[in-house]
Amino acid sequence: MTSTTVSSFIDKPVVPGDVILDLSKMTDQTLKLGGGLQQDQDAITVVQAGILRFSKPNKYWIESSHKRYIPTVGDTILGIVVDQRAESFFVDIKGPMVAFLPVLAFEGGTRRNIPKFEVGTLIYARVVKANTGMNPELSCMDASGKAAEFGPLKDGYMFESSTGLSRMLLSSPTCPVLEGLGKKLAFEIAVGLNGRVWVNAEHKSSIILVANAIMNSESLTPVQQKIMVERLLDRVN
Amino acid sequence: MEQRLVNTWRMTVNEKKFIESALESELRIDGRRPFDYRRVTIKFGRFAILREDGSSEVQLGQTHVMSFVTSQLVQPYRDRPNEGTLSVFTEFSPMADPSFEVGCPSESAVELGRIIDRGLRESRAVDTESLCVVAGKWVWSIRIDLHILDNGGNLVDAANIAALAALLTFRRPECTLGGDDGQEVIMHPPEAHWVSNHHVREPLSLTIHHLPIAVTFAFIGDENMVIDPTHHEEAVMGGRMSVTLNSNGEVCAVQKAGQGVMQSVVMQCLRIVSVKAGDVTSKIKTAVESYNTERALKMVKRHAPPSKAVDVSEPGQKAKQILEGQKLKSEECSVSQSDDMDVDQVHTYIHALKELTHLRGDVFLVSKDPYSEGVNTDELKATLASCGSVAVPMKLVNLGDSIRDETKSDEPLSDVNPVSSSTDSAGKETRCC
Amino acid sequence: MEYVNPEGLRLDGRRPMEMRQLRAEIGVVSRADGSAAFEMGNTKVIAAVYGPREVQNRSQQMNDQALVRCEYSMANFSTGDRRRKTKGDRRSTEISLVIRQTMEACICQHLMPRSQIDIYVQVLQADGGTRSACINAATLALADAGIPMRDLVTSCSAGYLNSTPLLDLNYLEDSAGGADVTVGILPKMDKVTLLQMDAKLPMDIFENVMQLAVEGCKAVESYIREFAILLKKKMGPGYATAILSKNGGSKS
Repeated sequence: MTSTTVSSFIDKPVVPGDVILDLSKMTDQTLKLGGGLQQDQDAITVVQAGILRFSKPNKYWIESSHKRYIPTVGDTILGIVVDQRAESFFVDIKGPMVAFLPVLAFEGGTRRNIPKFEVGTLIYARVVKANTGMNPELSCMDASGKAAEFGPLKDGYMFESSTGLSRMLLSSPTCPVLEGLGKKLAFEIAVGLNGRVWVNAEHKSSIILVANAIMNSESLTPVQQKIMVERLLDRVN
Repeated sequence: MEQRLVNTWRMTVNEKKFIESALESELRIDGRRPFDYRRVTIKFGRFAILREDGSSEVQLGQTHVMSFVTSQLVQPYRDRPNEGTLSVFTEFSPMADPSFEVGCPSESAVELGRIIDRGLRESRAVDTESLCVVAGKWVWSIRIDLHILDNGGNLVDAANIAALAALLTFRRPECTLGGDDGQEVIMHPPEAHWVSNHHVREPLSLTIHHLPIAVTFAFIGDENMVIDPTHHEEAVMGGRMSVTLNSNGEVCAVQKAGQGVMQSVVMQCLRIVSVKAGDVTSKIKTAVESYNTERALKMVKRHAPPSKAVDVSEPGQKAKQILEGQKLKSEECSVSQSDDMDVDQVHTYIHALKELTHLRGDVFLVSKDPYSEGVNTDELKATLASCGSVAVPMKLVNLGDSIRDETKSDEPLSDVNPVSSSTDSAGKETRCC
Repeated sequence: MEYVNPEGLRLDGRRPMEMRQLRAEIGVVSRADGSAAFEMGNTKVIAAVYGPREVQNRSQQMNDQALVRCEYSMANFSTGDRRRKTKGDRRSTEISLVIRQTMEACICQHLMPRSQIDIYVQVLQADGGTRSACINAATLALADAGIPMRDLVTSCSAGYLNSTPLLDLNYLEDSAGGADVTVGILPKMDKVTLLQMDAKLPMDIFENVMQLAVEGCKAVESYIREFAILLKKKMGPGYATAILSKNGGSKS
């Protein structure tokens, strides 16, 4: 078969049980299924409510917003140190299990210079291992072994939202909330794909404003976001 | 071990520090100032199944508390033979907060109940003496149930408002003494189609002398305090103080433990509370008033002039419902009248009723008399349809239903769909009768 | 009922601002790490402290501070009426919580991470002011156990009957239905840590009553302090228990 069959549900909301593709009518095709999809003999069914996404040539996945986070390799996340052991830190990443952050997973990390974090430290890290049945593993280095912004975050304020909001904040082009705020205010932001956002700025009031603007934008359309941000900024100035 | 690490809610050092340091410059993470109260929303029970008055739902920011008030005739305590009782029960469901555990109430649940209980009881806000029916034998026991639905911090204040709002709208059935020895308790139903055949009497509200309003402070850091703390602020605070005050400026209860504060700070808090308590009081009062107006409007419909009603309390005709200590059901059988009907609709409804009455030259419709002749619903429908006074056909069907209810109300119609919002279900009901 | 007669004397012959006799004893429970008995008139309580020790329920262990637990109970024979008190009723649970929070405010918890301190208080005779007596006993027991504390918490109650503020209510006065203010203070820091109040009281009177209770706390403190100094002598050989009795400071 030369022409590839594409699901008619793409970019549409789907619910568990929906059959998006019937494999019996397709031959010689390779499909890559992402989160929220499952193969049930000849049918590809949905197991999570969300929006079906497709990327060429053959990747399907469900995009949805959750408060819990299911670790995926390569995601950048914000974790909270909950305990320290000889080999690794235990980090809470809002997932089903605590993640391990090996004490050597820092740039130039050796047995001599093990970092010390108190319980409750916020860490910006990358998921390097995420297998079911195993605690996920984090690293504070990029693939080339550089620190690259990873590591503990000092000061500022961290709040929790949903994974969907995090994705929105990281999307390109820049989402209207951040764009609007960025025009008027100077602030630092770190977004973890596990639905945690850290904000820092010189003035405490800016931090509060940015944090609230982002939290409010969860269910707003781009236009509404723009208006909301403008109103907030007007009220402050 | 690991399990525990995952399931406990935790806070970062950053959050703690930020909450504390932002307070130095009088800022709070939700944009409030230290002495700003969150928005209070008060709703009243409007569920069709819960026709019993005296339920409220209070939302304070993210905190969500529900309160129910119920009554029962019980034997009084021996040391207080002529006083009714008032008790507060709390339910912290693990649904609202993972830190609440299933099973026996936690310390915080008990504390919450006690603060509210003390505020209401020790200050004698509810007149318990008027709840006495027969001294030493029967008194009304009022029970307040508080359910925490969502914990966004400051449960005490939210629960207190919910309890007050529910108490203010609660009404108990009236009862009188009768029988041969004048010691039998006769319950008066609030509605005619209730099981009992006694005189219909308006249920009675509680006598509430004053409204004790609880306002909570959290002490954060060494010197700072905030009013109405959120969940996050509660996690950071060193101590908390709940002050219950009424609108006369009288202190009704204080509960404070933990972090020490200066005596002058305590007094400063008290003065702030006296201002806040006034705001909250007026909020509760407006909400209760608008609820009462709405209820009165419904009453017009249910209890329209009892012009031709036969005196049902003729001796010999009635079987006295003598109380034997069992809980009296004050549920009324549900009429197929939509409970969430707004005021406008009620008006149209009343209007339609009046017109109909006029048309037939008879008052059977509005009388609550169970002995009057049954009405043929189809005939009625035809009449209504011909006069064309009711614009909404669905309402018309409902109307027919309610007449049917009222005319055959000797036994309660238990499962008439109370909110027959769809024409379908209403239609079905008509067909079956 | 008349709680203060025209001569200005209360039912038990005290002046309105007079406290009942205080009496304390340390080391009354041999198995406990620290213990104390405390009497305020006819109210008699006993407190025992165990700890700092290993946390029993590992899931409650805290890595940065000690876990403090408190259990308050009333002996069945402690009150006049003859009935079996169910354990863990709502009043006891609340008082346990309040005592725990009050003691937490003065214990240097962060010096003993990953450990547990248990405070058991039992009322042997109840004649009003059990809450205060329990806190005073717990303070002494904690001091006896050598638990590091910022200050000695002391507590006292005051009430308002017959338009008179009364210090240290006994059972009759307590159950009269008037206001009852229980205060716990950190005397050296001059801060109020515990404050509980029932019934209705105008704000200015509340301030006076609270002030009176604070004065009472200070009187208790001076008594306890004297005792805490004696505590050191306990280290000496042959010294088993320290008994000291004194009339509480009557305020004018």
